[in-house]
Amino acid sequence: MIKPKNIRNLRTYIIFAGIPTLAFLTVVILPFIYGVYLTFTDFNAVETVNQFLSKFVGLSNYVKAISDSAFRESFLKTFKYVFYTMVFTNLIAFFLAYILTSGIKGQNFFRVAFFTPNLIGGIILGFIWQFIFNSAFPYIGYKLNIPLFYDSWLATPQKAFWALVTVTVWQYVGYMMMIYIAGFVSIPQDLLEAATIDGAGKWHKLVRIILPLMVPSFTVTIFLTLQRSFMVYDLNLALTRGGPFKSTELVSMHVYNEAFLYQRYAIGQAKALILFITVALITMIQVYFSKKAEVEI
Amino acid sequence: MKLRKVLSLILVLSFIIFLNLGGLNAAEKVKITLLSTKGEINAALEEVAKDFSKDYPNISLEIIPVGVGQSPFEKLSTMYASGNAPTLAMIDVNDVPKFKENFLDLSNEEWVKDAVKGALNDITFDKKVMAFPFTIEGYGLIYNQQAIEKVIGKFDPKTIDTRNKLEALFKKLEEKGLTPIVVSPLDWSLGAHFLTIGYVTQSSDPKKIDKFIEDLKAGKIDLSKNRKMNGLLDTLDMWKKYNYLKRSPLAGTYEQGAQLLATGKVAFWFMGNWAWPLIKEVNPNNVQYGFLPVFVSNIPNDYGNREIPVGVTKVIGIDMKQNSREQQEAARTFLNWLVYNKNGQNAWVNKLSVITPFKNVKLTPNDPLAKSIFEYMNQGRTLRFLVTLPPDHWPTVGASMQKYLANVISREQLFKEITDYWRKVK
Repeated sequence: MIKPKNIRNLRTYIIFAGIPTLAFLTVVILPFIYGVYLTFTDFNAVETVNQFLSKFVGLSNYVKAISDSAFRESFLKTFKYVFYTMVFTNLIAFFLAYILTSGIKGQNFFRVAFFTPNLIGGIILGFIWQFIFNSAFPYIGYKLNIPLFYDSWLATPQKAFWALVTVTVWQYVGYMMMIYIAGFVSIPQDLLEAATIDGAGKWHKLVRIILPLMVPSFTVTIFLTLQRSFMVYDLNLALTRGGPFKSTELVSMHVYNEAFLYQRYAIGQAKALILFITVALITMIQVYFSKKAEVEI
Repeated sequence: MKLRKVLSLILVLSFIIFLNLGGLNAAEKVKITLLSTKGEINAALEEVAKDFSKDYPNISLEIIPVGVGQSPFEKLSTMYASGNAPTLAMIDVNDVPKFKENFLDLSNEEWVKDAVKGALNDITFDKKVMAFPFTIEGYGLIYNQQAIEKVIGKFDPKTIDTRNKLEALFKKLEEKGLTPIVVSPLDWSLGAHFLTIGYVTQSSDPKKIDKFIEDLKAGKIDLSKNRKMNGLLDTLDMWKKYNYLKRSPLAGTYEQGAQLLATGKVAFWFMGNWAWPLIKEVNPNNVQYGFLPVFVSNIPNDYGNREIPVGVTKVIGIDMKQNSREQQEAARTFLNWLVYNKNGQNAWVNKLSVITPFKNVKLTPNDPLAKSIFEYMNQGRTLRFLVTLPPDHWPTVGASMQKYLANVISREQLFKEITDYWRKVK
């Protein structure tokens, strides 16, 4: 038995959300399901007419994907990259937000200045920094005699990795800072005043009042940095192209190369799905625990 | 108020009529598309399309460029998957086998008999020509004659015919304060171009080269005992000593290499004639460049010491699955226009700066690197340009070559990585 109220609800839903739902189904859900289906075939993207006739190969694409040592290494590298970018971005962004809400002179100017890198696209950013690492750093290193900057950072695997982390942090710090600033501003001033009257110092106010009330901001920023770092491609491509000798080939780039450069479409698709599940799981767990830590006043 | 209404009605009506007329015109015109995967000529191709439309006003040719860094294979397979295939697809030779089911058989075209020897080898399947050879390219050690002569006086490249003689020249240049060479640490350059010289100098018989690669796959070849391979790497070792990037061998880019050569900061650069537009842009006043072979030994007449790799690199296929008969016809007209029409030849050679793989096209591009390649071709001093290797060959061995260039691995380890790669190839 369908109640009239439910039918009315359904009608309202179709009127207001019918078209978006249809669009979402056709451009996101259906291609996704189709993509999952392709991972079980030997699809190669060329013989379009035979798309549905591609041979069914079971789980062999997944077996090949997981047994590929380059894929596993690339995944590990990505985890390392995500860890460092997440930690540094959030630490620095929080620190900047703390300073820029404390009422120092010209704080609006600084807010804009730190946010600007986020407005530049990853590709352009990559090329700018490539120039800085390849030409500007060695020049400065020689003039001022700093051994760290003698050689281009992009020439050795270790330094190229840190170059990637540096640029990513530089790019996202401004954005995350904005979210933290919003968090800081929304903390009720009366609470802080009351705490001051009760004799709480700066440190106590930060740990006991500000941090707990900022958890919603952390939920958002950590989610964003996690997800963006896992999926990074443009910066990776423009800055290092995975080099030197594939040492900075992060997992998105690995998947792209597998599918389109080495032309093993189905295996690439399987790897992409593994990446998707991993990122979805990690971010879901993160959001679940962050939500739990949120407090209500 | 009424006037306004009437006016707007007239406007709307005239629009409708105008649109209809436009529609009628379009129906007469055949619209074809060309997917261009050669970034450096995209702008020039637009002009060529206009030239073509002047001669054939009833065909309109639209150029679809592939984005920088996007693989031609990806672009074309996406276009096929979306039922939107270009009429003419310019692709790399080793992508032809994957798309050939969709391509028109061109065996009966007039130009087949006019193609230069060997130009159709890699694009002929079961005796059917499946694509049109579009460019010939070559590579080697580019020298900047002007820069060399500025420091050591008269320089005759013909006197340099062995590795030792090249090293003697490098020494002299270095003493005079000119850095001899820049080895750009690009995986495609090192993997697809430099290392393959080791494969193609094995024999002047193409069948024996194929056999060599088959043997590599079967794991039957011990590279450490191979004379040409070792000779090639000896040459790289020598280059490394005089490399502009010696201190940090992996800190170079393609643009930097062109810039160093063009501004005369280095005398030699390992690259191909596709770099000419870039070199010219940096320094338009110098046109004295040419190629030296990459020496594989100290024996002057050793196979490979007089030759440079030259071959067809980009080919054009005509789609027959998603384009109409009229469109296919128009596409064939375009290819014939390139080969046989005066304006077509002029556009092809001079505007696109292409060395054409056709005997009847007598024009040569006005570019010193192309001229140098032409000279090698006329003297029959060419090596096979290996374009039929698996798509993951250059990224994999290119990475190994980068490690070798930066002294991260020894020659033994390099050979092992190359052998391991080939064993994994099915």
